[in-house]
Amino acid sequence: MPSDDAILETRRISRAVQDGSQTKTVIDHFSFSFKKGNIYTIIGPSGAGKSSLLRLLNRLDEPTEGDILFHNQNIKEHSPCRLRREIGYLFQTPYLFPKTVKDNLLYADSKLPADVIQRLTEQVQVPLSWIDRAVDTLSIGERQRVALARLLATNPEVVLLDEPTSALDPSYTESIENLVRSIVQQTSLTVIMVTHNPEQALRIGGETILLVAGRLVESGPCERVINNPQTEAGHLYKMRQLK
Amino acid sequence: MMSPSITQVLLSLALVAISIGVSRWWRIPVAKDMALGSVRAFIQLVAVGYALKFIFDLESLWLISLAILVMILVGAQAASGRVKSFKGVFPVTFTAMIIGSLFTLATMLALDIIPLEARYVIPLAGMIISNSMNASALAIDRLASDIRNNELAIETSLSLGKSWRIAAGNFQRDAATTGMISILNFMKTVGIVALPGAMTGMILAGAEPLEAVLLQIIVAYMLLSSVTITSVVAVELTVRKFFTPFHQLKKV
Repeated sequence: MPSDDAILETRRISRAVQDGSQTKTVIDHFSFSFKKGNIYTIIGPSGAGKSSLLRLLNRLDEPTEGDILFHNQNIKEHSPCRLRREIGYLFQTPYLFPKTVKDNLLYADSKLPADVIQRLTEQVQVPLSWIDRAVDTLSIGERQRVALARLLATNPEVVLLDEPTSALDPSYTESIENLVRSIVQQTSLTVIMVTHNPEQALRIGGETILLVAGRLVESGPCERVINNPQTEAGHLYKMRQLK
Repeated sequence: MMSPSITQVLLSLALVAISIGVSRWWRIPVAKDMALGSVRAFIQLVAVGYALKFIFDLESLWLISLAILVMILVGAQAASGRVKSFKGVFPVTFTAMIIGSLFTLATMLALDIIPLEARYVIPLAGMIISNSMNASALAIDRLASDIRNNELAIETSLSLGKSWRIAAGNFQRDAATTGMISILNFMKTVGIVALPGAMTGMILAGAEPLEAVLLQIIVAYMLLSSVTITSVVAVELTVRKFFTPFHQLKKV
């Protein structure tokens, strides 16, 4: 049954990949319904399939089993290129084309009007004066913001963030977290953010999904999933984190 | 017209002996390769001489076509063997070379630049095919390694809703250019740095230099056409191996 307020829904999706002579299941019958305008964090040990899940949602990879629904319609019925503009994906180490900040924004949409460029730079807290700077003069944190602005330039409804702070120092981490929260508050965006750090999931708020070995083991309000898990796998994960 | 005798050929073995002597002296371990190579070159060239004489005497269109097909098959096999970055490219090199070579030859025949005679078609086809072979191997290798080394850039484009054609466009153009670079360089320096083979051959055989030059100009344009078409087709067929119909990058 499709849920009315679900913007993105996965139905028992799996993905198996060839690892040498063996077949490895990276996502294992994952079902979840993401609601419009909410913020979700996906936590779990490394190798749990967090990034693989985001790649499936952006359709950079194909599930070997199961269906993904966007606005209650199978994503196979969407054009992949249009779908990726509606469900944007920010890579863990974002790639900027070796040109200026403005060129990178225009790459997402060549007809981007000047006022939208201004709004985007304000949204990601990049000074408008940087617009003609070559991207190789930017720090990692600044590049992250430009990549986020470029992603928002496609005007997505869902944003997938793959550990956006993993390469940043604590002060930058905090500012990106604030940025993500403020974007969700200002817009009706749905944000799905992968993090390896449960503390960060608590700071971001919203709902949390705990992924272990490609399986959804626990989901719900972040406080409960992280501090008061209901399943054995959830407890195990909490114990490991405390150590 | 200079027409060497067997005695002259045997005497030229002195040059092989000198080469072997020099490498022995310097302890460069190639003496065996040199000896074998000289014998091989002798046998292969004599064999091809008889084969060409046979084909020229028969003057059969079928035989000309068969000879060209065999040359393309062997050339495509050699080109696919030279592509180290990924396997199974024989169908690509073969298709690219057959389109590049036949289109160029057909144009020359249709415009009456050369007559449909084995004496003209076969040697020119040989030049076309060996150049196309290099071009396809270089273009495919470049494209494959560029795509592998730029996965993040390509997937960034795809994730921003670009088609695979846009995401890989620059790499396609670079690869096609790589295939064409040797003929472009050749045209830049031809006649200044070196006299090319076809022209040297004609002059040695007693032709007037200006006649030889005219033929060489045709040869240069002919190679440009075949190399351009072969590179573009090779790149076009190769790039598709890296993407799914859903604009996803495949790990080949």
